[in-house]
Amino acid sequence: MSQYLFQQLINGLALGSLYALVAIGFSMIYGIVRLINFAHGDLVMIGAFATLGMLFYGTPWPVTLLVVLLVGALAGATIQTVVFRPMLGAPQVTGFIASLAVSITIQNSALMLLSGQPRNFLFPEAMRQRVSLGGVSASLTDLVIIGLTLTLIAILFVIVYRTRLGRAMRATAENLMAARLMGIGVNRTILAAFAIGSALAAVAGLFWGGKFGQIDPLLGSVPGLKAFIACVIGGVGSIGGAMLGGYILGLAEVLFVGLLPQAYAGYRDTFVFSLLILILLIKPSGLFVRHVEERA
Amino acid sequence: MPDAPILQVSGLNVFRGATHVLKDVSFEVARGELVALIGANGAGKSTTLLALSGLLPARSGTARMTTDEGTIELTRASTETIVRAGLIHCPEGRQIFQSLSVADNLALGAYARTDKDWIAQTTEEVYRLFPILREREKIPAGALSGGEQMMLAMGRALLGAPKLLLLDEPSLGLAPKVIDTIFDVIAELKARGVTILLIEQNAAMALEIADRAHVMEHGRITLSGTGASLMENDRVRQAYLGVSA
Repeated sequence: MSQYLFQQLINGLALGSLYALVAIGFSMIYGIVRLINFAHGDLVMIGAFATLGMLFYGTPWPVTLLVVLLVGALAGATIQTVVFRPMLGAPQVTGFIASLAVSITIQNSALMLLSGQPRNFLFPEAMRQRVSLGGVSASLTDLVIIGLTLTLIAILFVIVYRTRLGRAMRATAENLMAARLMGIGVNRTILAAFAIGSALAAVAGLFWGGKFGQIDPLLGSVPGLKAFIACVIGGVGSIGGAMLGGYILGLAEVLFVGLLPQAYAGYRDTFVFSLLILILLIKPSGLFVRHVEERA
Repeated sequence: MPDAPILQVSGLNVFRGATHVLKDVSFEVARGELVALIGANGAGKSTTLLALSGLLPARSGTARMTTDEGTIELTRASTETIVRAGLIHCPEGRQIFQSLSVADNLALGAYARTDKDWIAQTTEEVYRLFPILREREKIPAGALSGGEQMMLAMGRALLGAPKLLLLDEPSLGLAPKVIDTIFDVIAELKARGVTILLIEQNAAMALEIADRAHVMEHGRITLSGTGASLMENDRVRQAYLGVSA
């Protein structure tokens, strides 16, 4: 494989990892309470600034990662408790509009507290070097992002498919009333889904800063929107679908830029959205959802 | 208080939206008894069960469950607490978790139980009662036939260790042979001393198996008696058993 193609591939997988981390949480939240949560992307920003704060105090990386997970989980749990819990059972559009309000509130609070000035954000020297792998080389940052993302997703799958909490979450997502009749504390289960999904988005913020080197209070908008697209590609409500949707989107973006003539690079979002429209025309329920179930 | 009725409902009023669905409903269920609620669609039978499991709020009145562990006010407790106390509700339309495996569905039935040995033993027992479920253990429950789904719903309810079992239309939409299997299991549960509150559109089968029954009309209990006496009642025979006068 040529160095150029390999580099594009790794770059696409790293970008896809970021999208997948955000998309999974988006999908989990939609799956369990049918909420299109447009504030989800702002957890990426919160995670990025939490990382910046930790870096300022020279916290070791493993600790930073854990703290960012925790900050994301707490932020997600708080948003759910304060804003979305009272709306359980309200029409879908109520939650949707509330999520826009949450997003605007978070972004503007961040602008007031942190100023709109972009901040430089650098992984340590050791992380920014390139590693060579038998004739081709890649940036260590990208490899770490891909590796940690896959590890986190593996842990998530164990939680969702192998634990009592995961079973309760899947049951609640499918049938809220029946879940209640099993004696499941559905409020706690929904809270857990928000916390887990938000923690993953916050980690994406850590990676985002590391990959692009600069963060600002509005940086959550793009990953939030891309996560939504990734979910639609993969099938909203499915965790595996959101993950694959994220990787497809990341790879597609990078390959469009990498393989098309330079003059078209500025149109990469045009190609991405065309891909989305094409997928929706061919398979409206998403690529990885076998059948669409509507909750009564 | 071994002699206190396991369920005492008194003056229960329930609204769904602006509609006054249950009007001063009062009845009791003694321990080990099988009580049937019969009546037309929309009479308030399912609403009664939903209110008892804490899924619908009561405007006024009380519903009290008394077991060896104590008394619980069903109109004030959360569904989670009610299920833990041993009131298990097998809802209308079965409401199994379609995308989850048969084994996962059964495990969820035991969600509120903590004794692992008891769960393993009871799961075995459910598989003995409904051998088809063991064969389909790993299959998504949505792929089961209607009858198999009902068996799964019953099995799932048994794994909740019911002290009081609420069954909402267990025969709905099932083939006669499957209905017989389900009613055999209901009879066996009754013989084992499980207290059951049964809603049935198939009034003849319900009255045959019930110790006592209540007829519900427009949100009120209008007639009560033993299963046998209601079978002889002219009004019941005309309205619910399809016998002309």
